[in-house]
Amino acid sequence: MRKHCLLCLLTVMLVSALFDPGPLQGQIEKPILVDAVLCEDMRDGVPLNPGVVFPVSIGKVVCYAAFDPVPRRAVIYHNWYRKDELNTKIRLVLQPPRWAAYSTIQLREVDKGPWRIEITDDEGQVLDILRFSITD
Amino acid sequence: MEKAILFLSSIRWQDVLDITLNGYILFRLYVLFRGTNAFRVLMGIALLWFLQRISSSLGLVVTSWFVQGILAVAAIIIIVVFRNEIRSVLQAKNLRSIFWGFPRPSVQTPVQIVVDSVFELARMRTGALIVLPGNEDLSEATHSGIRWRGLVSKEMILSIFWPDNPVHDGAIVIQGNEVAEVGVILPLSHRQDLPSYYGTRHRAAAGLAETTDALALVVSEERGNITVAKGSEIRTVREEGDLSKILEEHIGISTVQQKGMKKEKLELAAAALISFLFITGVWLSFTRGLDTLITLDIPVEYMKRDPGLEIIDASVNTVRLELSGSGALLKTIKPDQVKVQVDLGKVTAGTSSFTITSRDVSLPPGVTLRSVRPPVIDVTLDVLTRKELPVQVDWAGKMPPGLILTEAKTTPERMQVTGPKRILDRVSTLYTEKVYVDNMEKSGALTSQIVLNPASLKLAPGGRERVIIDYKVKEKGP
Repeated sequence: MRKHCLLCLLTVMLVSALFDPGPLQGQIEKPILVDAVLCEDMRDGVPLNPGVVFPVSIGKVVCYAAFDPVPRRAVIYHNWYRKDELNTKIRLVLQPPRWAAYSTIQLREVDKGPWRIEITDDEGQVLDILRFSITD
Repeated sequence: MEKAILFLSSIRWQDVLDITLNGYILFRLYVLFRGTNAFRVLMGIALLWFLQRISSSLGLVVTSWFVQGILAVAAIIIIVVFRNEIRSVLQAKNLRSIFWGFPRPSVQTPVQIVVDSVFELARMRTGALIVLPGNEDLSEATHSGIRWRGLVSKEMILSIFWPDNPVHDGAIVIQGNEVAEVGVILPLSHRQDLPSYYGTRHRAAAGLAETTDALALVVSEERGNITVAKGSEIRTVREEGDLSKILEEHIGISTVQQKGMKKEKLELAAAALISFLFITGVWLSFTRGLDTLITLDIPVEYMKRDPGLEIIDASVNTVRLELSGSGALLKTIKPDQVKVQVDLGKVTAGTSSFTITSRDVSLPPGVTLRSVRPPVIDVTLDVLTRKELPVQVDWAGKMPPGLILTEAKTTPERMQVTGPKRILDRVSTLYTEKVYVDNMEKSGALTSQIVLNPASLKLAPGGRERVIIDYKVKEKGP
């Protein structure tokens, strides 16, 4: 009888561990960033010429970020900094079940120099930082 | 009255010490060199200095320039020409005689013996030449003397000048109560106004008297006359009493000894008073004379700062000081003699205001602070802290056509820096110096230096200033 009770208890613990929704469920609620690059342009939803140095002559830079999964509709931000000063903050909406979003800035001569983009969620948590330079 | 009280209250103890010290030095110079030619020349130079000052203040350019030129070489002239006097003063037996004592002949010459001997020699028509030195050293003017060092006696003097004596032709030098040298050769005078009957002895006596402060006695072999030479004066003495008086005056003793002592004391007191008045005058002319104003821009120095705090901002780096004093003092003032020091000993992090007062300004003696512009300085201090920051490459230049730099990684990726907290809070990236991409045709690695901006940031101890950059270059897509 005692043996049976112990076996039942172990079975319950194993099943509950397998189906415990606690922390796993919490992670799935937030979109997960799987790819983030800077590129010259987007072509057919794919980043064109990803890199870290872009000439000002190309006229624009694109920040591409892909999320999988996206459990529910979510908002992320692309914060563009030039030399530690926030230049622009772009709001992007992610749709389930997976989503890729990108933001673009137009380049001017005065934009030359080192840049960084912080990709954050709606709570301000930094998901990734991309660094690049605008050159001649 | 108020002005006098204000003036007296402005005198510092250093000023009193300054005047006393220099006044005493001047007085001692007088005591040590009085009666010598060096003293007379020193007086002449002092007069020249006054002349230069007056001509300068009157605007006599050439005169001032000319006198200044003479004064410039005067110091060398004094040392070269009067080296013997200077040496005799400095070679004193003890320091007391330089700093305190009054030079007196320690042993007096027995005047009466000399007088008796001279008149005896005259009666015997025996030629003689006797020198009694003054304060000056005779070694430069005389030569060929034979050391004698015998006590003065009538018999000795008579025997020295006895015609069969080998040394009778030269002069004898009497110092104190002894015959110091015999057979001494003296310089001859080239004066044209001397009587034709004067022989070599007379010319030698005149020559020595002209060039030194010594007294020379001559006994003429032909006429039996006694002649005394001192300075440029030569005279014949007929009475023993007259000769005694002349010798006593020369040696510095008098028949009325007390009167002489009193006179000397009065003379020294007058010299002391004049010395102190002169130095006071010079001091006044330097410190209170012409009230001139100048302005100087002086950098502010911050002292006693807590090592854990850093100055991150100050409203000014230099202050403009308006200083007053005599023109002579202000002309020679150099900016490094003036300091503005602000005490940060009790200051905490944050912005503090300091009013610059005369206590914060150190000036050379005799110079007064009139005003400070700006009178208040704001200084911001911050706590030194440490922060780890990511390193980013500052790319520049133009990539070769058709290529793109796809990836760059720095080693180390992050570095620690120290600096004021407020500044570090605003800094989130460390940048390298500019790295040019113009010739980057393929992947590779290079090193670059970290640029610390603002300059108050420093790499944490042990951190290296250069980073390695690994980069990848690819061809662009179609």
